[in-house]
Amino acid sequence: MDRHVFGNSCDDNCPTSSETEGNDGNPFNFNPQVIHLPKDHELFEDGDIQRHMYLQNLYISAADEEPSLRVAEFACHISGCSATFQALPEYEHHYNSLHRHVCCMCRRSLPTARLLDIHIQEWHDSLFAVLTLKQDMYQCLVEGCGLKFRTTKDRKDHLINIHKYPPDFRFDKIKKDSRSKRAQSGTEMELCEPEGGCEVDCSGSSSQDLEPVKMNISEENASPMETSVPIAPDPAVTAKPQYSYRVPSNVCFGQGSVRGFRGRQGKRK
Amino acid sequence: MWRLSKVRHKARLHDNSSEQLRLKRREQEKALRQARKDRQLFSKRLLLNEDDEEELYTEEQDVVKLFQHLQRCGPEKEASLKHLRRALRHPSAQNTFIKLENSMHLLVGLLSGSSSECRLQAVCCLHELSHAPQSTVSAAILPASSYLLTYLSGQSSKFTELCLYTLGNLCPENDVIKEKLLSQGIIPALVNCLETQMHNLALVEAVGFTLSQLLQGSKAAEKIAPIVLGSRLPLLLCSVLSPDPEFGLAPAIECAWCLHYLICSCAPGECSILLTQGALSKCSSLLVSIGGTVGEEKTDEELELLVWPLLRCVGNLVSSCPVELLPGEVHVCLPAALCSLLHTYLKTQPALAREAAWVLNNLTAHSVDLCSTLVTCNLLPGLIQLLPFSHGINTMIVRVLANVAHKKKFYDQLVHVGLLPALCATLKMADTEMVVLSLDVLYMLFDGNSKFGEEFVKQGGLSTLEALQYNHEGDLRHRALYLLEHRLECYLS
Repeated sequence: MDRHVFGNSCDDNCPTSSETEGNDGNPFNFNPQVIHLPKDHELFEDGDIQRHMYLQNLYISAADEEPSLRVAEFACHISGCSATFQALPEYEHHYNSLHRHVCCMCRRSLPTARLLDIHIQEWHDSLFAVLTLKQDMYQCLVEGCGLKFRTTKDRKDHLINIHKYPPDFRFDKIKKDSRSKRAQSGTEMELCEPEGGCEVDCSGSSSQDLEPVKMNISEENASPMETSVPIAPDPAVTAKPQYSYRVPSNVCFGQGSVRGFRGRQGKRK
Repeated sequence: MWRLSKVRHKARLHDNSSEQLRLKRREQEKALRQARKDRQLFSKRLLLNEDDEEELYTEEQDVVKLFQHLQRCGPEKEASLKHLRRALRHPSAQNTFIKLENSMHLLVGLLSGSSSECRLQAVCCLHELSHAPQSTVSAAILPASSYLLTYLSGQSSKFTELCLYTLGNLCPENDVIKEKLLSQGIIPALVNCLETQMHNLALVEAVGFTLSQLLQGSKAAEKIAPIVLGSRLPLLLCSVLSPDPEFGLAPAIECAWCLHYLICSCAPGECSILLTQGALSKCSSLLVSIGGTVGEEKTDEELELLVWPLLRCVGNLVSSCPVELLPGEVHVCLPAALCSLLHTYLKTQPALAREAAWVLNNLTAHSVDLCSTLVTCNLLPGLIQLLPFSHGINTMIVRVLANVAHKKKFYDQLVHVGLLPALCATLKMADTEMVVLSLDVLYMLFDGNSKFGEEFVKQGGLSTLEALQYNHEGDLRHRALYLLEHRLECYLS
């Protein structure tokens, strides 16, 4: 192994998963490196400038302007999300607010696990759609209320009249026609914060291919979403109730999401 | 302790307004950065006599008339030359003068003539010309070079100093000039001057400056450095590195920069000449003494001007030193001194802090002993505190920590000082290299002891690794996935 490296590091040359050594595709290959820097290396720029400022009698020891030290930025790692933060709590808040409870089907981000559950049930569950014809299925959004309603309008009226919710409450949107949804770029995100927007690319393929309404419950394991992303089906997941798409075997955020990553090789983009 | 003595005979800025000064500094800095990009970075220095400082900015005089007077006058040549010298401070006068017929011939004649006063004044005139911004002007004084070189072995201190700075200003102009100076024997002349005048620190500084001008050029590595390395200069340079408390840092600064340029002109791993002459040990000892000083008192001493080249010398010399000899070559307190320098200059000169971290990386890369020093001298917590800072500092620090982890002997100590929670934070940083290295360290720690995985999970690291599955960088995704599947699988719900 060559000890002497010009320039900064060998990290740029880290092998892709196809080139890794080891039987299990171990991608880790850190080796300590003595880094030799040539005279004109960019790492040396500031020092050279100070040297010449001194030669030209323009040098002062302390910076007379604001300090140039920068704190490292944090960045949201979700592909497509380019948010950066100056402090860790900001990052945590961002992540927890926008990426934790995301629906895999339509990439909408909900602020809590409960609202996500309700969303998935009401938007993407065919059985639910069938049941609404016969019984009151639409839950009140207020935790602890427990009431259910036959239509979304009834629920909305209840929320406004009883719980004093605003008529345009963001997390009570009517489900759009799936065709018109598909016609969109597929990047729509319902966010709890007005600014910023993260495209959460939950699936390996574009989720426009999804047609939840057409999805046959018995074919859960052979859903279009799965076939476009080669993954080993996770036996633990298939034991889940059939009508719940909340944790499909490929990907999602939210509770139990860890299980969704098993056996997945590599992802999008 | 060490004070950079105020510019003794150098041109001072008479700009009283500090705002103007600040502006000028900023402009000049921009110009220098551009010059560096163009590989045209060099500076000239101007010596002043004490008596003419007040007349630094006299009105422009008619240099033609002065020249004519000089040609005609007999015994008042010295006075006439003094006037000429002041007039030549102005760029337009400089231009005019060199175009006058026989002007250089006259000056060279006076330089080599029998009157010592005229020689001195003539060299002052040449010095002014050498400082000219236009290269045509300074190049015009080349005919005087053989005399300037000859006088380097003279005994007149002030005169020699002027010759040296004049030559130093001339050196970087172009390759033709450099070739000529080399063939006229500038290197042996500098060697001889340095040897005989070691006690005269003003001359040591001047020799150092001139040599650094020669060595800084882009072709220096091929042509000039080998000659210098083959001479006694490296040994001499090492011996004058220690700053004198009275005189100040200036000579040491120049010599340190010379060493830095010399080391850079060697291919990596082939600097054994300088090693055998004790360069590494000398530079590291000096860094240790400076590191001790900056820790105690506020540094308005401009010590960083010396620290910078010393760091680079040590950093690059390490690649030439066999690992087993490294602990013997470098001072045992060097890691501690580097950490001290890191913290001291973190806010005022972050680039210097980054270079100190770079040296620490090179020291710890292959040497178990030096990694052990980091641990036993309790330097790890201080390093971890630096992980939030960018500017390339944190990536270098995490490399150092990775070097320590790689030795397989210090896992407990690393975790004990809080590395795991620190890594939980660095995994969320924007810099890809930082995250990759953090994952590398985690991998090594988990390999060392599986209970660290449990600890990591307790710190909430799992969700970060999961989030990394969605990063567009393959390096990150593969590593995070591997850790989840092969090291943390029992913690997955």
